[in-house]
Amino acid sequence: MVWIYLLEKEFKQFFRDPGLPKMLISFPLMMVLVFPFAVSMEVRNINLVVVDNSCSVTSERLIDKCVKSGYFRLVEKSSTPERAQYLMDINKADAILTISSDLEKQLAFGESLPVGIKVNTINGSKGSIAAGYLSNCISSFVAAENSGERLSAGNHIEVSTKFYYNKYMDYKVFMVPALIVIAITMITGFFPALNIVNEKEKGTIEQINVTPIRRSTFILCKLIPYWAVAFFILSSCLFIAWIVFGYTCAGSIFTLFVFTGLHIMVTAGLGLLISNYSDNAQQAMFMTWFFMMVFMLISGIFTPIASMPAWAQAITYLNPLRYYADAMRFVYLKGSTFFEVWYDALGLFLIGVAMMSWAILSYRKQE
Amino acid sequence: MKEFFKLVGKEFRHIFRDRRTMLIVLVMPVVQIVLFGFAISTDIHQARVDIVGDIQDFQVRKIAERIDNSQYFDVVSEYRSVTSVDDRFRKGKADVAICFEQDFSKKLETENTALIRIIGDGSEPNSAQMIANYAMGIIHEGTRELTPTVEYVYNPMMKSSYNFVPGVMGLILMLICSMMTAISIVREKEKGTMELLLVSPVRPLWIIVSKALPYMTLSAVNLVTILLLSRYVMSVPIRGSLLLIALVSLVFILTSLALGLLISTIASTQRVAMLISGMGLMMPTMIFSGIIFPCESMPVVLQYLSDIIPAKWYIILIKKIMIEGVGMTYIVKELSILLFMVFVLFWTSIKLFRTRL
Amino acid sequence: MESGHIIEIRGLTKKFGTFTAVDHISFEVGKGEIFGFLGANGAGKTTAMKILCGLSKPTSGEGKVAGFSINGEQEKIKRHIGYMSQKFSLYADLKVWENIRLFGGIYGLKRKVIAERTDAIIQSLGMQDWKDSLVGSIPQGWKQKLAFSIAMIHEPQIVFLDEPTGGVDPETRRKFWEMIYEASDRGITIFVTTHYMDEAEYCDRVSIMVDGQIVAVDSPKVLKEKYAAENMDVVFRTLARGSIRQ
Repeated sequence: MVWIYLLEKEFKQFFRDPGLPKMLISFPLMMVLVFPFAVSMEVRNINLVVVDNSCSVTSERLIDKCVKSGYFRLVEKSSTPERAQYLMDINKADAILTISSDLEKQLAFGESLPVGIKVNTINGSKGSIAAGYLSNCISSFVAAENSGERLSAGNHIEVSTKFYYNKYMDYKVFMVPALIVIAITMITGFFPALNIVNEKEKGTIEQINVTPIRRSTFILCKLIPYWAVAFFILSSCLFIAWIVFGYTCAGSIFTLFVFTGLHIMVTAGLGLLISNYSDNAQQAMFMTWFFMMVFMLISGIFTPIASMPAWAQAITYLNPLRYYADAMRFVYLKGSTFFEVWYDALGLFLIGVAMMSWAILSYRKQE
Repeated sequence: MKEFFKLVGKEFRHIFRDRRTMLIVLVMPVVQIVLFGFAISTDIHQARVDIVGDIQDFQVRKIAERIDNSQYFDVVSEYRSVTSVDDRFRKGKADVAICFEQDFSKKLETENTALIRIIGDGSEPNSAQMIANYAMGIIHEGTRELTPTVEYVYNPMMKSSYNFVPGVMGLILMLICSMMTAISIVREKEKGTMELLLVSPVRPLWIIVSKALPYMTLSAVNLVTILLLSRYVMSVPIRGSLLLIALVSLVFILTSLALGLLISTIASTQRVAMLISGMGLMMPTMIFSGIIFPCESMPVVLQYLSDIIPAKWYIILIKKIMIEGVGMTYIVKELSILLFMVFVLFWTSIKLFRTRL
Repeated sequence: MESGHIIEIRGLTKKFGTFTAVDHISFEVGKGEIFGFLGANGAGKTTAMKILCGLSKPTSGEGKVAGFSINGEQEKIKRHIGYMSQKFSLYADLKVWENIRLFGGIYGLKRKVIAERTDAIIQSLGMQDWKDSLVGSIPQGWKQKLAFSIAMIHEPQIVFLDEPTGGVDPETRRKFWEMIYEASDRGITIFVTTHYMDEAEYCDRVSIMVDGQIVAVDSPKVLKEKYAAENMDVVFRTLARGSIRQ
């Protein structure tokens, strides 16, 4: 029966906090409404500068085609390459398209393509994607120009592409489950940690320690409100994604909740560990920040795990976020069932057990 | 002045006594550089391919072998029915399926044309698109096509480190100068020791300076660590002048300190200070720094929003000086924006500081 | 357990690595006594007190608190003691009655009993106007009185007070001691640490700890006579002179 009083206390403190409840409303809103736009790897609005030495109808059509592709923003047509380079130096241009004066002649006889692309690659992936878009535009332009004559002898393989689960290749829907993962991890792992450290700093935890109440009860009662919040956030994120973007979960929502439940066990352990190893809020926050960053970067949330070097891939097996994010994406986007992603559940479970045991052991040691 | 030095000594002792925080602060840039440098990449390698069709067919086998031999792909399975693709994707066993039509070789011979369909796993749009592009390229291999020449400027090797080193510098300086300063001031406020300091003969401005000095020292150490690591481990060039980098960094450190001060005057408890700096500073800095997400692709509203984040300007400055190697004349605009921010932030926070305490 | 002794400690030792914080201390406290536990900072007071409260285990030595062993029966000890620490430790973001209710609930009191005691506490402290105020917003002196009342909500046999009057004005301190006497009259044993030596005079008996050892246990009157001192401050300084940890 004691836990009722403790829960009552935690909930009261929670709702009385000047910031927390407000954050809880704004957090899922921001996560689902704003972040998918910001947290995107799509490359758009590439600033293009053209040096058109041909000044012909064909070159006009080529430029037009590039601009109409939707990826580029024509900054200006420069008269000299130097001017174009200057624009790149002051960050006004991301890509330079240079068209030689013999464009039409070369196109007709087709020896080489007299078009040059220069891209700023300080951001390597962005640069290469920009170059890719640009050369695709040019290639398809050339192909269209020559379509009449170029039906050469020989075999012709026609390739078409089709994408399952995400027909329009919308990046936002890809980020929705991942953002839920980040939100849940923060709320169930780090907020309780900060809360416990706060009681440590204020000395109230000492008062609780001299009462006959079990520490496990006390901690559990601390975690429960955050768990409630986690499920609230999960539901509201799913709801907002549906209302605003029309995204729905391809698999069973129940499975999402099951995985969230499993993940919560892990984050509870993590939160306890952080609170055990920090004496004040500043330390707790630093550890939180540090772990959160490492976990997020090597979870596959932003960049695919398959693209990492082998040693980094090996480390990701120790990262609970890897399993949770993977499962959430599979279920939400592809409709995988629980048994189809059993390995994620196993991974989460094992890490959860390990973290909890470590947390409890380190807790005992402190006396 | 003597009291001032005593205060500085006290602040230094406070920080250095806290071993755990020190460790994290000093190790953090190293870990970040390593993570960003090696682990964060979007390149495709060894994507798992399913061949759907008749593998006995000569042409199918030829193309399948070519795909398997490529560094991008790894053929993991082959089967007949397209309906299995969905199942394989849902279990996470394949990344792409390449489907050949019935009697592929025969059609290619008699009708001179045959169909291939590439089915990508669109749940990861970017990778799926890249994989499909690569696969198409390999299938078309040998057919002559006109392609434009491409030149990569500033970073011909396409190293991602060129992009993230400036980003990490911005993040770390922000973290240490704003967050730590804000929290340590708020802590003194919470404990009531701030009043004690304020009634001492030391002027309030010097109290603030004494709080900021250790963090400035720490950030300088981190800055040097990052520069050394990026130069000698990641081999990122430092093309511009070191002096300019130091100057720009100093301006940014001042901006961050002013921000920290501002937060400390607004926040009443450490928790609030942390939330404000975490949510209001670190998240936006992460997102708008361009380390992972290209800023230019965001909706216009968000781009305007990113303009008020000091770290964005600092990162642009560092990129220009370090990697493009441009001189003072090219950075006047960004530098003046940053200086303007320092001025405004200090002015408001000192005003608030006076009235609140 | 001998009759009349509610705390009995024999050879209590606590080591942290090579450092001996508490070095073979022995003493007993009688029922209803106000026992002052004195010592300079770092003398080992807090460590010893933590063991008595069941917060920490002794390295060696034995003893009983409220009839239960300090080796292994910590949880039972906790049921029969109250504790109030030097840091003020009620929840600032809970209201006065909510704090009372919380601790009543934690000690397993029935709902009805909690309601009765809440009224009784608020009545006796004269805090009717503050019943619905957040504890963070009431004056320090009142907080301390409230914390003391809450420490006794489950009618413990002993109350441990860890420097309860740190940072309050003399008037409030005097009133606080009146509350301590009242509790003592009701038969509750008070175990109090302090470094205000004038407060030591109010205790029935005091012990003085120096460098982890108890160098004297007796009533203030006897101690003053023994060391020919006019007040406890002088006694304390005489005894603490040889300290190495200072």
